[in-house]
Amino acid sequence: MHFLAERTDQENMAGPLKVDYAFDTEDLESSAKIVKFAILKKHQEQDAAQEHELASFEETMLPHMDAAHNLAKWLLRNEEDAQDVVQEAYLRAFKSFGGFHGSNGRAWLLTIVRNTSYTLLKKNKAVDLTTTFDEEIHVSGHDSVSPATTLEHSENAELIREAMDELPADFREILALRHQEGLSYKEIADITQIPPGTVMSRLARARAKLREYLAARIGKE
Amino acid sequence: MNCDEATNLMDGYLDGELDPVTSQTIEQHLRSCRNCEQAYETHRVLVRSIGIAAPYYKAPAELRQRIQSSLREEIAERPMRNVAPDAQPLFPRQQPKPRAVLFGTPWNWLSLSGLSLAAAIIFAAIIFSNLAPQLRRPGADQLLATQLIASHVRSLMANHLTDVASSDQHTVKPWLDAKLDFAPAVADLASEGFPLIGGRLDYLDNRPVAALVYQRRKHFINLFVWPAGSDVAKAAKTITRQGYQLLHWADSDFNYWAVSDVNVNDLQLFKQQFETRTPRH
Ligand SMILES: [Zn+2]
Repeated sequence: MHFLAERTDQENMAGPLKVDYAFDTEDLESSAKIVKFAILKKHQEQDAAQEHELASFEETMLPHMDAAHNLAKWLLRNEEDAQDVVQEAYLRAFKSFGGFHGSNGRAWLLTIVRNTSYTLLKKNKAVDLTTTFDEEIHVSGHDSVSPATTLEHSENAELIREAMDELPADFREILALRHQEGLSYKEIADITQIPPGTVMSRLARARAKLREYLAARIGKE
Repeated sequence: MNCDEATNLMDGYLDGELDPVTSQTIEQHLRSCRNCEQAYETHRVLVRSIGIAAPYYKAPAELRQRIQSSLREEIAERPMRNVAPDAQPLFPRQQPKPRAVLFGTPWNWLSLSGLSLAAAIIFAAIIFSNLAPQLRRPGADQLLATQLIASHVRSLMANHLTDVASSDQHTVKPWLDAKLDFAPAVADLASEGFPLIGGRLDYLDNRPVAALVYQRRKHFINLFVWPAGSDVAKAAKTITRQGYQLLHWADSDFNYWAVSDVNVNDLQLFKQQFETRTPRH
């Protein structure tokens, strides 16, 4: 009896323990699975969202890389700086892409490229950041070189580039935005952060100055 | 309207940015004033020539790669999500200890992106080991594709295309065999239009993998090779992402992922030629 009782006790003890243990483990495992699956699903959604965000950003912004590079190159006049600025601008744009709901991706990107370029120009203490406002506007051709002669040379790409590179930064940028990107006054005002009414007068001064520099270069030849 | 007013508004008129009434007034003045008319004509031609003659600085091709790569790094560096502790590695290891530690990590980018790369791979591993089979493959493939493209782009960008630069398979193969715990097949495919440029040790899931580098005209193909696991799909598949083509296939021993910006047909041709020139298992 004694033995039997002992055996029964052992069985009684072992039996429920085993069951309890098995039950607990299964329970734990299944809840862990549920939790893990929930985390996974969330991660998967996050990952898919990031993939989607990047794809949508690239689709919207990569087509404007030439415009971005062109503006940066005109502003910085240095290939290495231009590439650094464009890369930095794309990163900045990507980080704030969630806040971009507009339809004009190019104007938005160019605004960032411009601001990034000016940050670098200021850091490099560029002296030509803004123009002085006392320049006269020479539109009615009293240059030393005749308008006809200026026009003859005006399609000389190298001359135009040299003359444009001599202009202050805000003139270089407005000429690039207007003549190379074909942007409207409104878009130019948004990108350069000046009142729309100022765009025309700045363009007029930039063109007049370019013409003056062009004439000076032709005169030297 | 007098001449001064006309002169001041000339640029706006030229650009078509004036309201119709003002435009008409200028037009009338130009028709009646020969001086202003001539000045306008000269100005118009000069302004037109800026658009024609000023150089337009297009972005060089490598800038695009730089930017796409930095965007991917930006995503990878974002704050990590917590991951389950019992994640399984994406690739089965044949040896428990990665031999990479023996010869260190050859590139700077590894130390920069190693952590996030590892985290991303752990994440992939969780998908891999937990989701229903029909969900597994696409998720893991997409993530792997991202890593493969990143490796491909880095190899081109960092000027680190090859560790061993040789068109001789008998140079490249022994070099790789010595560095890896497996022995991938190597073949020069120059006569097929895909000259071998060399080999490189690369890492996926912190595991060393072989990268064979081939050239197709002016484009490069990275062929990543590592031992095949038991559950690898043998069927070839192509993925197109971010302007890159990826072609995957496997034999009984190895996984192959070819990554390039050549077109799909070229990559298919490359696979055929590679398989023809390397003994099948
Ligand atoms: Zn007049």
